[in-house]
Amino acid sequence: MRDLPYRWIEAIQDRRDYIEDQLRLGSPVVGLPYEQGSLLLTVTKGAQKIFEVHDRIALSAIGHPADIERLRMLVTDTASVQAFQSATEDVNLHRLTHYVLAHTFKQAFEAIVGEAYIIKMLLVEIGNGDENTQFTHINYDGNVKVDHDSAVIGGTLEIENAMQEYLDAAQGETNGDIASALQLALKTWAVGRELSQRSEDAEDNTEVTDEEIEEIIQTELEDGEIEVGILDASLPSDTKFRILTQDEIQAARDTN
Amino acid sequence: MNHKGDFLSLLKHADTMQGQHEMDVASSELDRNASPKIFPVTKKPLQGKATHGTMVEIPEATTVVAMRYSNGIIIAGDRRATAGTSVVHDRAEKVLPIDTYSVLAISGAPAMAYEIARVLKHSFQYFRRSQLQELSVEGKLRTLSRLIRENLPMAMQGIGAVIPIFALYTPQTDESEHGGKIYFYDALGAHFENVDFATTGSGSIWIRGVLRYLDRWGESRLEDMDQQQATITILRLLDTASEYDAATSGYNAKAEIFPTIKTITQQGVQTLPEDFLKDCYAEAT
Repeated sequence: MRDLPYRWIEAIQDRRDYIEDQLRLGSPVVGLPYEQGSLLLTVTKGAQKIFEVHDRIALSAIGHPADIERLRMLVTDTASVQAFQSATEDVNLHRLTHYVLAHTFKQAFEAIVGEAYIIKMLLVEIGNGDENTQFTHINYDGNVKVDHDSAVIGGTLEIENAMQEYLDAAQGETNGDIASALQLALKTWAVGRELSQRSEDAEDNTEVTDEEIEEIIQTELEDGEIEVGILDASLPSDTKFRILTQDEIQAARDTN
Repeated sequence: MNHKGDFLSLLKHADTMQGQHEMDVASSELDRNASPKIFPVTKKPLQGKATHGTMVEIPEATTVVAMRYSNGIIIAGDRRATAGTSVVHDRAEKVLPIDTYSVLAISGAPAMAYEIARVLKHSFQYFRRSQLQELSVEGKLRTLSRLIRENLPMAMQGIGAVIPIFALYTPQTDESEHGGKIYFYDALGAHFENVDFATTGSGSIWIRGVLRYLDRWGESRLEDMDQQQATITILRLLDTASEYDAATSGYNAKAEIFPTIKTITQQGVQTLPEDFLKDCYAEAT
């Protein structure tokens, strides 16, 4: 097929449409910093979606569970081996994304006879001392976006843009503690969830009202559960990752 | 390739890891040739130090001791590292934290011991990260057994034996059961059941009987002691060991070098601060 450039481009476009169609309904993930670290938040229906990769690195993704698992193992294995053969300090998110993940994603996406990964990944790393927190968003085609303030993944680019817009508008209002960061992350998640459920012809309308946010949180929590993973620099152990308990999440939601 | 949380298996295949999903078939081919050992293995016949009657002569110049006390486990080691009759280092760390609730205290060849501790630490982390659950106590013990057994060729040559004490605390235990657990090993990797106290190293022969005596006929059982009583007992034991064993250092008042003493309790592994040890010394002597 490679001798026919037009058909190759067409095949890639078909593949793009297929993957985006599969991702559309994925439960979004929001990444936000707070005073002592950073959090990742999503709402799940059972399966764990936020994972520890290394001492200061956490991962979340939307997509096919088998693909998420396979790529999660790839990045966890690489980080573990590097930390052992060299030192824990030598493991960093930049190297993991650029030398391991990005090209694996791209290769699978463009090898049109092979299987594609149906996945979008969000990774976060909290720095050592002065270094910044870093959020890294990797698209199924291997494109990488890095941000230091916040990041989201959602089913489509439109959903992500709307979530990011909501987040940017509200981020100044939080006071930096974990409770307010969690509340904002949950609302941002709801924006993405609401948009992913609207029909395709209503796509241009990305306005989501506060009532709709409250409503969707309430309905989704009937059979879903909020999942929050934090990287907390103040933890005494080498490993800064921890999954919050449901009690802790509830307490944070009840804080004014 | 799925290593099912086995860090040693992951290390063995580390070279073939990138893009491994296409290479699963190829790596099964490699499996047959790959050495499962992480330590250097000699192909030469064993010779030298092994003598009739004692299969392995073990250089284990040190004293480490662990015991249960009321809050959990207290575990300590002297600071001296020796080679023959020379003192190589007077600030060696022999009590190494492995994770939030476990500690390895080592006697034997430092190079091997530190490597075993490092592999152990990474193994526990890798299991948790890849399998999304903590490795069980039994799983941790077996991992350590396996590492000691893989080190056997070095031990047989009389240059690299490692005989550790592994202590951990299981935080979810109910009130009636003591959460602290102490396991000791032999040079072949057999672990022995959970005990009230354990000691290893060349100085251990001088204090093992004392521990037994204190536990059985002392004013209070070891398990009933509070942190200060337990610390004083440990300091006195190390002092006794250093009196009779040249490879064990006592408290060096001139240089202010204290033994390493850690506790493992509901709050995890903690190192007792030097000020506290200083106060306890004043009380102990």
